[in-house]
Amino acid sequence: MFAATLPSLRRNPLAMMLVIGSAWLLFTSATQAHTIAGNDANFVQDIDGPAILPFIYLGAKHMVTGYDHLLFLFGVVFFLYRPVHVVQYVTLFAVGHSITLLTGVLANLQVNAFLIDAIIGLSIVYKACENMGGFARLGRLRPNPQAAVFVFGLFHGLGLATKLQAFELSANGLITNIISFNIGVELGQILALTFVFIALSLWRTSGSYLRHAFVTNAVLMCGGFLLAGYQITAYLTTPVY
Amino acid sequence: MQAPNERDRTDAPSARQLIIGTAAALVVALLVLVTVVMPAEFGIDPLGTGQALGLLELADASEGPLETVPTAHKHDYVEFILEPFQSVEYKYHLALNSSMVYSWEATGELVYDMHADPEGMEGEEFVESFEQGTGTSSYGTYHAPFTGIHGWFWENRTFEEIVLRLHSAGFYEGSVVFRDGGSYEQALSPLFE
Repeated sequence: MFAATLPSLRRNPLAMMLVIGSAWLLFTSATQAHTIAGNDANFVQDIDGPAILPFIYLGAKHMVTGYDHLLFLFGVVFFLYRPVHVVQYVTLFAVGHSITLLTGVLANLQVNAFLIDAIIGLSIVYKACENMGGFARLGRLRPNPQAAVFVFGLFHGLGLATKLQAFELSANGLITNIISFNIGVELGQILALTFVFIALSLWRTSGSYLRHAFVTNAVLMCGGFLLAGYQITAYLTTPVY
Repeated sequence: MQAPNERDRTDAPSARQLIIGTAAALVVALLVLVTVVMPAEFGIDPLGTGQALGLLELADASEGPLETVPTAHKHDYVEFILEPFQSVEYKYHLALNSSMVYSWEATGELVYDMHADPEGMEGEEFVESFEQGTGTSSYGTYHAPFTGIHGWFWENRTFEEIVLRLHSAGFYEGSVVFRDGGSYEQALSPLFE
C-alpha cells in the first residue's frame, strides 16, 4: 500500500509535506518540544560524573524534537540544491552554536531563556525574509548569508546552553557531558536535515517548488513570528523570583 | 563567495509583494498568538476567544506549583512491634493523583517494600513496587499513579524485637492493616469535626 501511495505523494508535494509534517508532530508532541522535561529532567539533575551516551541522546533528542531549530534549518536549506552547500552552511551553523553552547555553560553565562528563544524565532523570520528575496535589492548592503547563519548559530547555541543551565549540573564530568550533549545536537541535526533535504529534493522535482517558494517562506516567517510572540509573552508573564 | 541560497535577483519579488507577504505573515502570527496561543498557554484572553473556544481550561490545567483539592487531608500515626521474623503490611486508600507525605523510623533494620495494588485488580501481577530495600527509616512524598491501596510491607529478619513508627499526612480515606494472615480496615478521623 505504501509503495502505491509513494508515487502519488511525489506528484503532490503538499500532501507529502503534510505526511512528513504530521509524522514530526506525532514524534514531538509526546515530548514537550522545547525544554528538557519529565524523566529526562530528573535524570540530568541526578547525574554526577561523566555520562557520554545519555547526554548524546539528550542532545540529539533536543534537536530532533525542537521545532524552532528545525524551522530555521528548513529555511537555511530551502534554496541549497547541492549537498556541498548544505554541509557548508550547516557547518557554519554548528560551529556557531557549539561556541556559545560550550562557553555559555562553562562560563555560566546567565541569559534569559525566553529572550534567547524569541531571538531564535526572529532568526526564522530573518531566514524566511532572505528566502523571499527581501534582501536582494539591498545591493552591497545585503547581509552575507554565511555570516548570518553563523551569527544566528551563536544565538541558537545560547538557547541550548540555557536549557542545560536550567539544571543544577554537577561539576563532576561537566565538560565531558556538555561535549557529549553537543555531539548529540550535531547528530540530531544531521538526522533532521536528512529528512528535510530528502523532502525538499522530492518537492523540487515538481514544478510547484519555485512557484510556491514565496508563499512557503511567508508561512515559515509567520511561524517565526508566532514563536517569537510566544516567547515574548512567556517572558512578560513569568514572574522573576 | 557566491551565495547559493538566494533567489535569482531577476525574479526577486516586487517591493509591494514583499511588504504584503511580510505583513500577512505578521498579522496571521499575531492573530493566532492573541486568539489561540495566549489563552491556551498563559490564560490571557484579551478578545474572549479562549473562552469561546474552550481553550482557557488548557492554561488552568497546566502544572503550577500549587495543586488544590476539594477536601481536607487526614493524618495518621501508627506503631508496630515486630518480633523476630514477623512482618506487617500497612496501606492507605488513595485515589488517582492524591498525594501524601510520610516518615517512618524503626529501632532496627527492616526489610521493606513500598508498593501499591490497583483497586479491583486482584493478584501479584498487578502490584506495582516503588522501593525495596533494607533500612531503619524512609521519608518521602508519594503521588498515587492509580486508585487503590498504597503502602509498605515491613519484615523483621533480625533476632531482636523492632519497634516501627510511621507518621503520615495525606488525602487518603483510611488505611488497611495486613497482619498474621488477616486484614482489617481502619477509618481515620477527619481533621475538622
